[in-house]
Amino acid sequence: MSFTHLNVSSAFSAHYGVSTPAQLVAAAAADGAHALGLTDRDGLYGAVKHVAACLQHGLTPILGVNLATLDRSGKPTGRIILLAQGHSNGAGYAALCRAVSAAHSETPAAMGLTREQLAHALRGGRLMVLLGAESDVAKALEAHRYAQARQALVGWKKLAGSRLRVEIALHLSADAARYSLGYASKLLRYAHELKIAAVLSNAVRYADADGAVTADLLDSARVLGSLAELESVQPNGQGWLKSSVQMYRLAALLGRATEPRFGRALLAETERVAAWASLDERTDLGWKTPVIPEAHIIGVHQPAQQELSERTHAAISRLLPPEEAAAARARLADELQVIEKLGFASYFLTVAETVGLITELGVRVSARGSGASSLVNYLLGISHVNPLRHDLLFERFLSAERTTLPDIDIDVESARRHEIYQRIFEAFGAERVSLMSMQNAYRARGAVRDAGTALGLEQTTIDDIAKQLWRFSASSFREALSEKPELAALAERVSDNTDLQILIDATERLDRLPRHIAMHPCGVILSDVTLYDRTPVQPSGIGLPMSQYDKHDMDYMGLIKLDILGVRMQSAIAYTLAEIQRLHPSGTAVARAGGHSRSDYIDADGFIDLSRVPLDDPSTFELIRSTHTLGCFQIESPGQRELIGKLAPREFNDLIIDISLFRPGPMQSNMVKPYLEHRHGFAPARYLHRDLVPALAETHGVTVFHEQVMRILNVMTDCGFGTADDLRRGLGNPNREPEIERFFRSQAAARGYEPQVIEDCWQVLAGFGSFGFCKAHGAAFAVPTYHSAWLKAHHPEAFLAGIWEHDPGMYPKRLLVSEARRMNIPILPLDINRSTDHYRVEAIAEPTPAPAPQVPRAPGSVRPGHYGIRLAFREIHQMSQRETARLLAGQPYDSLADVRHRAGLSRRTYQNLAALGVFDSLLAENNRADAIAHSQSLTPNHGIPAKYRPGPGQLALPLGPIDHIARSGQRLSAEEMVRTELDLMHLDASGHLMNSYTQPLAHLPITRATELLHLRNGSEVLVAGVRVATQTPPMRGGQRVVFISVDDGTGCIDATFFADVQQHTGTLLFNTRLLLIHGTTRRTGPRGISLQALNAWDLHQPETWPDPNYLQDPARPQPSYRPRSHSRVTFGTGELAARMRAEDLDQRGA
Amino acid sequence: MGMFTEGIEVTCTPAGVPLRVRWQGRDYRLVAEPHCWFERRKWWEEKVRIPRGAGAGLADYEMWRLQLAPLRGPGEFFSVDVSFDPQSTRWRLVKTHEYPLALGA
Repeated sequence: MSFTHLNVSSAFSAHYGVSTPAQLVAAAAADGAHALGLTDRDGLYGAVKHVAACLQHGLTPILGVNLATLDRSGKPTGRIILLAQGHSNGAGYAALCRAVSAAHSETPAAMGLTREQLAHALRGGRLMVLLGAESDVAKALEAHRYAQARQALVGWKKLAGSRLRVEIALHLSADAARYSLGYASKLLRYAHELKIAAVLSNAVRYADADGAVTADLLDSARVLGSLAELESVQPNGQGWLKSSVQMYRLAALLGRATEPRFGRALLAETERVAAWASLDERTDLGWKTPVIPEAHIIGVHQPAQQELSERTHAAISRLLPPEEAAAARARLADELQVIEKLGFASYFLTVAETVGLITELGVRVSARGSGASSLVNYLLGISHVNPLRHDLLFERFLSAERTTLPDIDIDVESARRHEIYQRIFEAFGAERVSLMSMQNAYRARGAVRDAGTALGLEQTTIDDIAKQLWRFSASSFREALSEKPELAALAERVSDNTDLQILIDATERLDRLPRHIAMHPCGVILSDVTLYDRTPVQPSGIGLPMSQYDKHDMDYMGLIKLDILGVRMQSAIAYTLAEIQRLHPSGTAVARAGGHSRSDYIDADGFIDLSRVPLDDPSTFELIRSTHTLGCFQIESPGQRELIGKLAPREFNDLIIDISLFRPGPMQSNMVKPYLEHRHGFAPARYLHRDLVPALAETHGVTVFHEQVMRILNVMTDCGFGTADDLRRGLGNPNREPEIERFFRSQAAARGYEPQVIEDCWQVLAGFGSFGFCKAHGAAFAVPTYHSAWLKAHHPEAFLAGIWEHDPGMYPKRLLVSEARRMNIPILPLDINRSTDHYRVEAIAEPTPAPAPQVPRAPGSVRPGHYGIRLAFREIHQMSQRETARLLAGQPYDSLADVRHRAGLSRRTYQNLAALGVFDSLLAENNRADAIAHSQSLTPNHGIPAKYRPGPGQLALPLGPIDHIARSGQRLSAEEMVRTELDLMHLDASGHLMNSYTQPLAHLPITRATELLHLRNGSEVLVAGVRVATQTPPMRGGQRVVFISVDDGTGCIDATFFADVQQHTGTLLFNTRLLLIHGTTRRTGPRGISLQALNAWDLHQPETWPDPNYLQDPARPQPSYRPRSHSRVTFGTGELAARMRAEDLDQRGA
Repeated sequence: MGMFTEGIEVTCTPAGVPLRVRWQGRDYRLVAEPHCWFERRKWWEEKVRIPRGAGAGLADYEMWRLQLAPLRGPGEFFSVDVSFDPQSTRWRLVKTHEYPLALGA
């Protein structure tokens, strides 16, 4: 005897269900069920995961949805379940998808189905309606409106006919509560009277009884109220996936309360409906069968494989020099053969078509990830990296051994991403395209807020705790409390406070539960005209439909997804190129300005084609080696600047290696140090075996790249690259690794390798194999890295303007403004007539010669001081886009009165602009202080009434400076101006924020960032600055290290806080903006120095600052012993692998 | 009728259905099919800990209404409400009714 649950909500019913589909399926399988349904609320959010779990456990999947029903006015009347018919060649599933999409359509506004929509959905008889305890019928019963209940039931029968079932759920709640025996029996009798068959369910919300408490918390989170105030809590905690035995007992009980045969009939009918709804994953769902847009949509009128072959062969002569053609043709033949075998030709053509659309829009585009390994991708214009030149393996991307569609990720300008989406919808047809979604899950901070609200804790208590939680999962809350010094005070409070203990229990229960669905930042699904039969969609917020499926669902459902990633750096580069062209509108002018010795990559109109810029420019590498790489893609973080300083890149391949080394795996598994030692010749490179020299020579014997792991496997076992990649993916996976190890050892032995060589090689593979980086990915990344550094070296003003405009990096904008000072680029103040809403480069009429900047410039380029960057009307506090637009439309203005009359600014913005000095250039006999006083004296109703304002195109009558502005006799100090700028723009533009601390800190022996570099290793110093970055990378051995970077106006200082120092700095580490730090210098390379912190203070609390002779104080903290970084690596795969998975850093599949 | 929460011994079938009761030193038999329901428990008002995996019994009380008669000797039929706590596996007497109540009404 077996019972099939037909009404089951998973955790993907956000703020309702508790258990994942996998947990539910596992529970059903353990009970011996043959099938299991999933009927999430409002969508099929958990459907694919459910089917996958069912197949894994040998259960038959059943899919349905729980939807609201709406009356004529769009008001919800109740909820029903729709089940899809199985074994119908997908007709049932398609009807289900369409019904769900209809429920989300924007008319009517409420989510759900009207009677008309339902009638439409039920046409064809592919959906079964289950009317249960949430239906309008049950609600009427509960309200004792029996006639209404009967009438509603009659109406349903008329609507759904033979596809109607009454669904009885019995939670044995107290009399007169939902799911009580009384109501269940009554509903069952009504069904019998009206000759409607009934099924039994348990209206499941959690896999086991323990989930009931979590369901309470979710009910509360859903309505954003405390449990005490909640109107309808669950009647009890019985909504779990009960066993067949328990369900049979419930049926018997219902039989006793009505008629015994009713109980038996319930069980039989449930299984009949289950059989009707049993899905065949292949014929109903198209499981794992990719569906590609029709050939005519991608402009192909011959077999796709032939088209692909012709296009790529034609591109060889166009893109490659003749001497590379033969090798390319051989490689191309191999790639095409694999693609043909897998039948993926039209997939490649589809991607090429999409990239073509993007290029036609004039948007910068480049492929990232393993896609750069493919020559086909290069020849189709999808990738800009020639895999032959960088020795990249196609099998890392695709092989006959790997049958799922490969991921091709495309980077585009972030600012134009939505435009691209629109174009794709237009070109492929809206019926073939949808956006991908993603499920946002609870993390610690959100969980603590919702748990606290549910428990009815004081809002201030909740806020206080929530803001201390910093990026860890809620499930490790207790662990974090005991480990993290900045949570010590909280841990103390928690230890003897039951309320807070319960809060943590509740928080841990919410951990990782899906919270809401959102548009995935880059996924676009492309398919043929049947797409909306295969995925339900809902509005995305940008006006385009979004699939309810996420990235994990794509392969299973045969949905092709392109990752079209908006990359701000691409926008910044595009902006930079446009600024260069605007300032220097001819090829020769650009060449002169940028100090370019050759100009074959500069068009006559001044446009620089970066793809033709040679990758060996000496001044670019000089800039990179200087470590002044703020703003440069991938190499601007403190850690990267340190690595760059040590590695001193000389050529493009060095950048690839640098980017690949700067990953958690290599950093933690100690690959960096040996590499650097061999690179700089401090230690001779050692190779595991002479056969491996070709594979490992470029990294001096250290295994850095996935491609190298594949080569090692191939050389030692002769397995071929396709298998090698498959084996590589299995490294670090406890289920697969033993088998791989056996294979490796036996094959290598059979090929005659010495036992010691085999042992050493296996240690490398097991230890590092899964943590390396895909070289193709590194190469794809290194291109924008190089381009951004090239632009910074040759066109620093335009580059910085681009960086300010699009803010692509990790740092706050104010640091990038500081960088302008270090580059000796004048920061031009906001000006009513000169500023726009963009950061623009301006030629300076009378340049003052500036000294050579700290940040190197390409020789021959324009010297600093000739161009400045004008601040823009953006990000001014409380100034709306509309106000900005009106202000710009009215430029130029000739007086304050003119501004007030024509610019249509709110009083507040007017005052803010006066405070920021925007009107300074209009003030003849007055100063900024006068303008501020004047702006504050204005009555709220200044300006002329709207109907007298000039309309668009009309000119205002020049009135002249008719306002009389009184002289206030005040002057603003530099410090006041900086304060105002920080308050209103979050920028310190007129001077550095730290300038105002020069005086208060004068008595202390403060060292500046520029001076640090000249100090010896191990010097003890005090430094002060504004925090610009905080990072806590996962660390080997579980000891957390916190990196804090501060900017003191002369540069960045990177300080490392080890665990013992974290202990006595406590909350200061994360909550303080301005820091005074005591530390010792640690030289990291010829151009790099950082601090090992020993103590820290808050600059806002001068009373806590140390004495002037602190550095002589014998009681000051001393540097303690640190584990040497070249200590032997003792871990194999376990701990690090687990840690990286936990942090989502596993790169094996990337 | 009175309200109690005092201990009571209940012997059950393997399926967890009460069979016999021992209360205040006397044994009782069930004279009708017992009626079971699960009463809402407002755990958030009780300051109880709710760790993950605590199991059943936090969100509701398992209640049984039993019609009893003395196992031996004479005596009136009467009804009691008892509750079972899966956390402690203990039975408590919650209520006695002076006369037999209809079950499952």
